[in-house]
This record gives sequence, structure tokens and C-alpha cells, in this order.
Amino acid sequence: MRILSWFYLALIFGFIFLPVVVLVLFSFQDSRLPIPPFDGPTLKWYVNVIGDRDLMAALANSLIVSLISAAVALTLGFLAAQGLSRIHLPGSVAMRGLMIAPMTVSYLIIALGLLNVFNSIGIRPSLWTTGIGHVVINLPLCFAIIFAAMGDHQKNAERAARDLGASDMHVMFLVTAPMLMPALLAAYFLSVTFSWDEFIIAYLLTRFDVTLPVEIWSMLRSGLSPATNAIGSLVFLVSVALLFLLEFTVFRKQKT
Amino acid sequence: MTANVSFHSVQQHFGNFVALENINLEIEAGEFLVLLGPSGCGKSTLLFILGGFLTPTNGQVLIAGSDMAGVPPKSRPTTTMFQDYALFPHMSLRDNVAFGLRMKGQNKKTRNLKADEMLDLVGLADKANHKPHELSGGQRQRIALARALAVDPEVLLLDEPLGALDMKLRRQMQEELKAIQRKVGTTFVHVTHDQEEAMAIADRIVVMNHGKIEDVGSPEDIYLKPNSLFSANFMGEMNIVPMTVKKGKVVLPFDSISAENIPENPQLCLRPENVGLTGEFELGPATLESSAFFGTYHRCHFRPLAIPEIELVAHLPLGEVPEVSAEVRLFGSNPVLLSA
Repeated sequence: MRILSWFYLALIFGFIFLPVVVLVLFSFQDSRLPIPPFDGPTLKWYVNVIGDRDLMAALANSLIVSLISAAVALTLGFLAAQGLSRIHLPGSVAMRGLMIAPMTVSYLIIALGLLNVFNSIGIRPSLWTTGIGHVVINLPLCFAIIFAAMGDHQKNAERAARDLGASDMHVMFLVTAPMLMPALLAAYFLSVTFSWDEFIIAYLLTRFDVTLPVEIWSMLRSGLSPATNAIGSLVFLVSVALLFLLEFTVFRKQKT
Repeated sequence: MTANVSFHSVQQHFGNFVALENINLEIEAGEFLVLLGPSGCGKSTLLFILGGFLTPTNGQVLIAGSDMAGVPPKSRPTTTMFQDYALFPHMSLRDNVAFGLRMKGQNKKTRNLKADEMLDLVGLADKANHKPHELSGGQRQRIALARALAVDPEVLLLDEPLGALDMKLRRQMQEELKAIQRKVGTTFVHVTHDQEEAMAIADRIVVMNHGKIEDVGSPEDIYLKPNSLFSANFMGEMNIVPMTVKKGKVVLPFDSISAENIPENPQLCLRPENVGLTGEFELGPATLESSAFFGTYHRCHFRPLAIPEIELVAHLPLGEVPEVSAEVRLFGSNPVLLSA
């Protein structure tokens, strides 16, 4: 039984990580095609990729879009959660449902809708429109995470703060936000990763300045190369770094 | 700082439910007042109205003579110690206690000085840099008290603050609360459903039921001379002895008591400790049906021979208990006549 369960564990991890391992491994391939047999290692593809100005511009664009759109989604999601948890209006349940609804719609549909809207009001596709699209997909996520983290003990602490003379702003910055910090950080980092990886919306809503996934897509159209593996590995590295940051800041704190 | 409080015809309705019927109450400056009653009697509602968390449907609330209508909690000279303490988990104890002063715009040095003074008052000066989760229930409770008192409120509101503590700690905290109240002189308004707690700490007890005030008085008065049957029963066990009234006298099968101000439809009430083998008037012969040892007294069930349909509960001193099924003459003292 014990051996079987270890075997099962290994199988699951193999299934999940084999593609990544292959990707990373063949980014060190010496020859021009990232297929077996492996004949590396070499770092020339990384040098190649880092020296590619378009690619590096796309990487910077991706960083800007993901960091800013996540911050906007977080702020809006936090305010929405705060409002809907505190004030009971007729239809607040329906409003909550409506806030989360975009999560169930595919990114392609959201991208098409946004494309139509921007076209009809005469806004050209750009990094701005992509950023707006990423806010649309990440806001429900931020709202759901933060709303779920709000509880009675926090409401009581807010009431106590108000009783001690705190204004609404003070309550929000000194009590509510610090008490929700784990949820806020989780929501922010998840939003950053989702925006960082997002392709469809970015593909349809950018034109000259593109984000990294779109740039990788255009590289892939000219065929497989260890260079795409190298850039993929770099993207993966960023995601892993974010994940570790999340693990060490947020979840570590929650345990104590 | 301290102030008096007045409630003038305060009413609170929640839809069709009447939480407070018509409350008129004067609280003196520096008084330790306890609002006592079963859950749902309106005692917490009254406290929340005083704190400004609820706006009464009707009536007026005055603190130190000024009308509190439309004054939000933060602008009132009150602070509240909440049932669940509501400490700020991300702040050190010093920052928790200093929070109210920070909101008043005091600089860090001044407010920390005051916070340390308050921490000292509640005996937790050595834990100033700890976080709330490192404390026990009783310690958290003390921090909540220190935080509420740090802003020098005129009236401190306490919403069942000892409810979550175990018996022994609760008794200890009651004494501490009382001692701290004497020291700071602030008016304390304390809500509880525990009549022993009320008696242990109150200068004056207000007994409430169904949104009305049943009784107001010192613990002694409420216990020994209650104003209503509800208040009498809520403060502790009562024997109700059948009797008749003749010519302004209460007539019992074996004795009669002269009494003044006999209420309508009167009932004779006797506390178990006022029933015994000696006393002011005779209750007649009775047989002991059972007795149990309670440490400082024996709790005995007697059946009077003249009125076998009732049972009298008596608390007899140690060493005075007859054999079970023995016949004795019972006496009573400190009778209370209450309208049924």
C-alpha cells in the first residue's frame, strides 16, 4: 500500500512537472531544435533571448501591465468586498453574484466583448486596453478572496476602532487592511501571475506594444527553437519566484 | 472623568418587535451600574443605544446633561468593552491600548506613556510588546479594559465582558473590575445575565425583562426586598407560600404577620435561607423529604403537613439537619409580599 501511494505521488508530480522539466532542459540545447537527443548544455539561447530587444521590451510591458492591473483589481475588489460585507442593501446577494460572474466567462469571450466595446467608442488596442481587460478578469478573483476572508471578528474590531474615535479612513488603513493583509497579498500575487501569463486578451487587445505571451506566440509561429524554451524558462522562473514570495510572506504569517 | 446619564422614555422597535418599551433611568456619575436580565430582555440594546451604535425609535439619551441624538459613537464620551474583546490582532498590546489616543492625535511619546500606565493598571506592563494572540482570555479582557479606559471616557460600557471566562477567573476579574472602577471613578454601565456577578460588582442593579425595567436598587434591596415576582425569582430561588389576607394581616395556617402596603393579589415569598427551624413566624409542622450537602449549607426539601400540595426549599446550616422523613416545626423570616 505504502509503495503504491508513493508511486501514485510520483506519477502525479511527473504528470504535472514533466512538460516544465522538458521545457527547461531543452532551453540548454546546443543544436537548433529543442528535441531529443539532448546535446547541451549551453547558455547561448539565454544570451540570445536577453539580447533580443523586442523580447525584453515585451517582458517589461508584461511586468508593467501585470503589476498595475493587479493593483487596480485589488483596490476595486477590496472596496467592493468592504462595501458589500458592511452594508446590507436589497439585492446584495445578487450584486455579489454579479461581481463574481465574470469568472465563469471564458477569457476569449471577455476579450471579444472588450474589443467590440473599445472599437465602438474609438479606443485603439494598446497596453492600456490589455490592462483594463486584466482588471476585468482579476477583479472578481480579488473580490472573492477578500470577501471570503472578512469575518465577524474583523467587523467587531472595526466597530471598536470607531468607538475609540477612528474615522472611516483610519478604520480602513489601520484596522481593516492590516487584518486582511494575508488575503490582500494572496489576491494581489495571484492577480499578478494571472495577468503575467494571460494570452488571449493580450493578443486581441494589443497592437504595437505587446506583452510577453504575445511575443512568444509570434516567435513560435516561425517554428520551435531552444530560444522559445529559454524565454519560457524565464517566465516560469518569475512565476516560481512569485509563488515563493507568496509562501514566505503570506502563508508563513497566517500560521503564527 | 465621569458623567451622569439619563434615559428619558427611550423606546426601541425592530419592525414589530418591541425591544425596549419605555425606559426611564438615571445613572449617577461614578456609579457602577449593572443591567441584569435574561437574554432578549433588552439590556444590550439599551447599552448599544447609550454607546451610539443604535438610534432609539423614540426618547432621549443625555450624557452629562447634553443630548446625544445624532452623535456617532466616536464623538461620544463613552467607550465600549465588547463581549469578544475586539482587540486588533496585528498590533502590539501597547499599540492596542494607545489606539484611541492615536485617533485623538496624540504623539507617539505621549500616548505610549499613557498606554504603559494603563497596562500597569491592569497588571500587564511586562507584556507591552506582545501581540493579543499570545495572551490568555483573562489577559485579553484586561487589555480590552485598558484600551477602553486609556481615552479617559466619562462612561465605560461593558457588554457581558466576563461571559467567556471560566468561573474562577470570572470571580477574580469581577473583583478587579470593581477595584479599577473605584480607582478611576468613571461611570461603568455593565451588562450581564449572571445575577451573582451583578451582586458582586454593582452599586446599583437594574433588572430588566421584556424590554421593561422590573426593579432598580442596590444588590441588597433587589435580593432582599425585590419589587416584582420576576426580579425576586431572577435573583435567586423563592418559596411561594399560600396565604390569605384578613384585616391588613397576612394569615398563615399557624401564624399571622402584620404587614404594611399589602399589594394586590399578594404572594408570600421566602428565600430558602429564610426558612428554618427558628424564625420570626411559624410555618407549621413539615416532614423532611430529602436533603443534599452543598458545602456551606444543606439544601432540604420539606413538605408542610397543613399544605401538602407545596414543597418548601430550605438552606439549613451544617449540623442542623434532621433525619429524612422526620417531622419538624418550620419557621420563616424576612417575608416579602409581591403581587402575582
